[in-house]
Amino acid sequence: MPPPPIRKISLDAPPTVVHVPPVPLDGNGNGHAGPAGGVHTPGPPPSEAPVLERMRCDAVTIAYGPKVAVNRVDLPIAQGEVLAMIGPSGCGKTTLLRSLNRLTELTATASRGGRILLDGQDIDALEVTTLRKRVSMVFQQPNPFPMSVFDNVAYGLREGGSKRPRKKELMEPVERALTRAGLWHEVKENLDHPALRLSGGQQQRLCIARSLAAQPEVLLMDEPCSALDPISTAKIEELILELREQIAVVIVTHNLQQAQRVADKVAFMYLGELVEYAPGEQLFNAPQAQRTRDYVGGAFG
Amino acid sequence: MSALSSRRRGAPRRPPERAELWLGALAATLLLLIAGMLAFVFKEAWPSFSHNGLAWFGSGGNTGQQLAAIYESPANPDEYVYHLRAWPLLYGTLLSTGLAVLIGLPFALLCSLFMVEFAPPGLKRIMTPVVRFLAAVPSVVYGLIGILVLAPWIDRHLVSASFKLDVNAIVPVSGGGLLLASIILMVMIVPIMIAIISDALRAVPRSWVEGSAALGVNRWRTMWKVSVRTARPAIAAAVVLATARALGEAIMLAMVSGSFIWAPNPLDGLNFFLEPIMPLAATIVGQQEGFSAVPLGQTLYAIAAVLLVSSAILSFAGWAVRQPLRKYAAR
Repeated sequence: MPPPPIRKISLDAPPTVVHVPPVPLDGNGNGHAGPAGGVHTPGPPPSEAPVLERMRCDAVTIAYGPKVAVNRVDLPIAQGEVLAMIGPSGCGKTTLLRSLNRLTELTATASRGGRILLDGQDIDALEVTTLRKRVSMVFQQPNPFPMSVFDNVAYGLREGGSKRPRKKELMEPVERALTRAGLWHEVKENLDHPALRLSGGQQQRLCIARSLAAQPEVLLMDEPCSALDPISTAKIEELILELREQIAVVIVTHNLQQAQRVADKVAFMYLGELVEYAPGEQLFNAPQAQRTRDYVGGAFG
Repeated sequence: MSALSSRRRGAPRRPPERAELWLGALAATLLLLIAGMLAFVFKEAWPSFSHNGLAWFGSGGNTGQQLAAIYESPANPDEYVYHLRAWPLLYGTLLSTGLAVLIGLPFALLCSLFMVEFAPPGLKRIMTPVVRFLAAVPSVVYGLIGILVLAPWIDRHLVSASFKLDVNAIVPVSGGGLLLASIILMVMIVPIMIAIISDALRAVPRSWVEGSAALGVNRWRTMWKVSVRTARPAIAAAVVLATARALGEAIMLAMVSGSFIWAPNPLDGLNFFLEPIMPLAATIVGQQEGFSAVPLGQTLYAIAAVLLVSSAILSFAGWAVRQPLRKYAAR
């Protein structure tokens, strides 16, 4: 029996980008193209919150010096659902994510073209600290500050305002943020313990709580589970599904199963281009573009 | 059999246990030498301390005349003079070192922050080696500039003629003094502090800085709340090292401190800073011609012992200050 043919991608072939007409935001990923052969993989349970577009990328191009990392990407980001960005390493998904709250500006060589809108307003017109309070970010490696658990969560609240709130006033929002991040019951006895002594999964949930304390409207997550064990990962995925009811969540992930489990919408990027943007179930079960089919099918990664 | 012999050829000729022994012996010898030196200093210093008791550290009388009397004590060991009240020397050391470190620390911290956070890359590349070079300049060079250039300048522009005339009978005021000593000490120790603090600031994980920025905290607050906070143990270490260097500085201070044993009086207003001082280490240099007189030698050993003990206390204090700061650091 001959071995199965190996599908390869030739790099100089014209990109097979599908121009999907703007997807109507219907509140859940179901009801689109059904399973087109293969195993049907169910997506996350539909969200109960109304879906509302909060951010939009409009022909966004990002370059590091002469090297273009993200090329003319159009992408809507909606509250009430989770957007997952997938793609092989170096495809620009993390760069795009970091540009959403202008963290790319911390890199000296980075430059950006196109517009990013938050509630219809250009983010370049917003003050950067205001923007980052509204669009917060959780990183790949848990990065709690070398302070106590309490001080970590209170950090944004203390440094954000012009007046320093007292510890008593902070107790309530800190508890709320830790509860939302599902960490309150594990740390409520040890709020003054060093955050860096927590386990990796707890540290990452602490970082999520730290972001949530400032009550952001959009939460960006850059491979938040890649350094964590399966149980911590499951906890964080559960948390993501809860969070999408109130805020827009964008998650970059290398893990296709994770994208299937949590994402209502999936954006597949390749070599800086947005190849396909579709409801999760459609993208995984009936991808329109050849590259998406290859990537999702495991031909490369 | 042949396999065994070839394995033997590959084996190190001296087993590692042997090397361990050698290194251990070397380290032990060094430690013994230091311990022996300490014991010798304290043994030589003992007559001076036992004769004066705790009053050694107090004030009373003219310390300069006391040192002269010790030098001129009779040759008979039973009639050696040891009477000394060393407070002006201690006070001079505390003043010059304290002023230099207090003014130097904020200066060094701000310089390090500028170097690490704000300086354009080209300037950064130049500043780092320059600071390291400044930290290594022999202090006697600073002393020479101080005594030839700065002391006459201060004498001409800052010392008022009437003040000079008023105190001339008690204390000579000539430019060299507390102000000049502290300034040159500061110039000497600031590069050391900058080198240590800027290394620590550069070592602050970028993920913490980015994490703070991602929460909408601006660059200035991030710098103080994350970078400087993380660098606190290094700042403490820098202060300890700089203070130790200032304490032990002798030649330079002997050149620029006015060479007169005197305790500046804070009630003199700004003239306080122009009055001469005589720090401990500089006293040893100043009195070195008198080593042949046994009791003076022993007195100088007592001064050396005080310097040794203060260095030890300083190291310990630095360690103690760093402990609570380490509480939240990663293990």
